[in-house]
Parts: sequence; C-alpha cells; structure tokens
Amino acid sequence: MDFSRQIILPQLGVSGQKKLKDSKILVVGAGGLGCAVLPYLAAAGIGTLGIMDGDRIAASNLHRQLLYSQNQIGLLKSQEAKKYLNINFPEVDVDAIDFFLEPSNARDHLQNFDLIIDATDEISARHLLNDFCQELGIPWVYGSIHQFQGQVSVFNFENGPNYKDLFPIADADAISCSDAGVLGTTVGLIGMLQANEAIKIVGGFGKVLSGKVLIYDLLSCNQQIFEFEKRPENNSRLEQISFPFISIEEVIQSKRTVLDVREKDEKPEILKENFLKTPLSTLAEKVELFDRGEEICIFCQTGKRSQTAAEILHQLGFTQIRLIKGGAKEILEQLSHEKDLS
Amino acid sequence: MIKVHYFGIIAEAAKSEGETISSPSIPLKSLIGDLTEKYQLDSYQFQIAVNRKIVKEMDALELKTGDEIALLPAFSGG
Repeated sequence: MDFSRQIILPQLGVSGQKKLKDSKILVVGAGGLGCAVLPYLAAAGIGTLGIMDGDRIAASNLHRQLLYSQNQIGLLKSQEAKKYLNINFPEVDVDAIDFFLEPSNARDHLQNFDLIIDATDEISARHLLNDFCQELGIPWVYGSIHQFQGQVSVFNFENGPNYKDLFPIADADAISCSDAGVLGTTVGLIGMLQANEAIKIVGGFGKVLSGKVLIYDLLSCNQQIFEFEKRPENNSRLEQISFPFISIEEVIQSKRTVLDVREKDEKPEILKENFLKTPLSTLAEKVELFDRGEEICIFCQTGKRSQTAAEILHQLGFTQIRLIKGGAKEILEQLSHEKDLS
Repeated sequence: MIKVHYFGIIAEAAKSEGETISSPSIPLKSLIGDLTEKYQLDSYQFQIAVNRKIVKEMDALELKTGDEIALLPAFSGG
C-alpha cells in the first residue's frame, strides 16, 4: 500500500505510520458501526485488526452494513468482513472471532489488542467492555446511535474517565437500531468518527475525546461536546448476571426449547413447534413444565424481559439458559428467509 | 432565560429538541423535578449537563439566566 498522501501530513509522518502498522485494534461488533470503522482502519495501515461478532448477515442489515451483499445473507459477519479486508487490504493481519463478547471470553480476546472499538448495539455490552478494559488497562473508543443522533467518546485513555463515569447505571430499557430505526449515513458518520479517534490514539497525535462525549445530530448537523470527570463511586462492576447468547439461526436449526416471554397478543406472533409462549408475568408458575437441566433459549421484543426471565430461571435452579441474540421481529424475518430458501 | 436541550429518548419523551425556561434563576434540582413530572421521565436514566459540563451532584446548583442545560441519556444502537 502507498500511504504517501497521509505520511506527508506533519502530524503523522513516517514515524506515525509505523505506529499504525505496529498497532493491534479489536472491533467488537461487525454491524453498522463496525462496517464503517473496519475499512478505514485497514486502509490507514493498521497492522492487526480483530473482528468480534457471533451474528450472521440478515437482509435488513444491508442498507447500513456496506461490507456485505445479498448473496452473503445467513453467513457469519466476522468471517465475511475478514474476507472483504483480506481482498482489499492484503497487508493487514485480520483475526475473525465468531463469538459475541461475553464475560467468559472477554479477557482472553481483549488482552491481545492495544485498543478496542465499541461497535456493539447494547448498553450491557458496553458495561462489559468497560469492566474488562479497565481491568486490562486498554483504552476503548465508544460509539452509539439513537436514530439521527450519535455519541462518541474515548474511555480509559491515559488514566482518563470511563463509561461508568459518564453513564453509571446499566439501562436495559434503551433500545437498539432495529427498534428505533437508523439510516446508513448515521452509523457511517459515527463509525468514521470512531475510526478517526482510533487513528489519533495509535498514531499519537491530535486531541483525543477523553473526558468528553461528542453528540452529533444529523437532522440539524449540530455537534456538541460535553465534558465529564471521573466518579470513582460509580465504578463497581456490573452486578447483573450475564447469560450466554445464541444466534437466531442456531436456534431455528435446532430443536432446543425456546421461550417467548412476551405477553399474550404481542405482535408479531411467532408459531413454531418448539417455541413456547410463556409470558414473563406467568413464567414462575410454569417452570415445572421444563427440565432444569435442559437448554432453554429465551427471547422477547427487545431483550430486556429475556434477561429478567433468565434471572428468574437461574434463581429457580435452571443451569442451561441462553439469550437469543435479537428480538421477535428478527426471528420472524429469519424464519421467513429460511422458508424462502426451502 | 435558561435553555434546556433534550437528546435521544428524552427528546422523544418531551416531543421536542429543547425549550427555554423564562425564569431568571431556579435550583437545578427543582427544574429537573418539574421536567420529570411534565414529561414523565421517571423511568428514564439520563445525565445532566450545565453549560456543557456533566454535573456530579445537582443538589446545590442554582441556575441563572444564560445557563444551558442538557438531558443526556445513553444511546444503545450501533
């Protein structure tokens, strides 16, 4: 690769370019933000890139996840993103990790990298990243979206503040892109701001968004930066129990017991033989229908009630609980996709 | 005059990007209490910034004319 046009920037230079080459960056999530971040980091000459995601490509992703196309639906995002980078940026060493970030695997994967990019779509994943980056002393670049607005910040940079100093409480109510709606340009712009912070951090130039959160509103093109400080009293580790995720495809292809914990009459209705309607409000009464040792997968509309249901089952002695990665809408979409194929 | 800005789900709850409060001065805590009641923000979690600095403790803060406050929830999409 010819990096001459960026090496002539006095802030970067040959020494800065070498720093990019020597750096190892892990992008957690290969969805909207991840698809924007990855090609720019690879093109800038980052030496090693990790891509961590257990999710598969869905038709509804393609309007904003530009590394993928129609004929890749159903394939693993991490593997397909790696293929894209291998073809276009062969000098970059790419490591595809086909799992979602979980407490059980976080330390092993994060510790191999100098910097982490948060391209996840859940607040709980950010708390998890924060806990482990804090423990391992790794800075991370946060980015998230609500409709036309995005937030960007850098945490744990040179002993600076972290995510819990900004947002102390895990708010399971906050909704994902699939519920709130999102344009490709919004994730594209916020992802590019994250890639830009990452390049500044590893290249060692510019002013990093540490102790500051940038909020960009694409409807008005207004940009505001808010400052925040450390709040050590907020830095206890997340108490919430983390249950392993399972992908929608894996659930559909297996005969596992699936609990739909939405209340009666919630739409869309999903009818499948191993999908059992067990509303959260009556779950505790119905547990005796299930074997405590069997694997139980849970879903709802957004994921909040699944977590609560999993905690109830956990307290009642169930040991093999998994949360389905995605809500009712995504499951229905995947079921109709599989039906089209068959 | 005190300006209030809303972001993310708070802007949705308030059905507005912001508003101007005509009071010349008001304790931050009572303004947030009023807004929480007006827009039913009890179930939302958000941080409060005064003049673009996120406040750690709002008890003793008195807002005066020209101050700008912002209600900032965590976003989750990506």
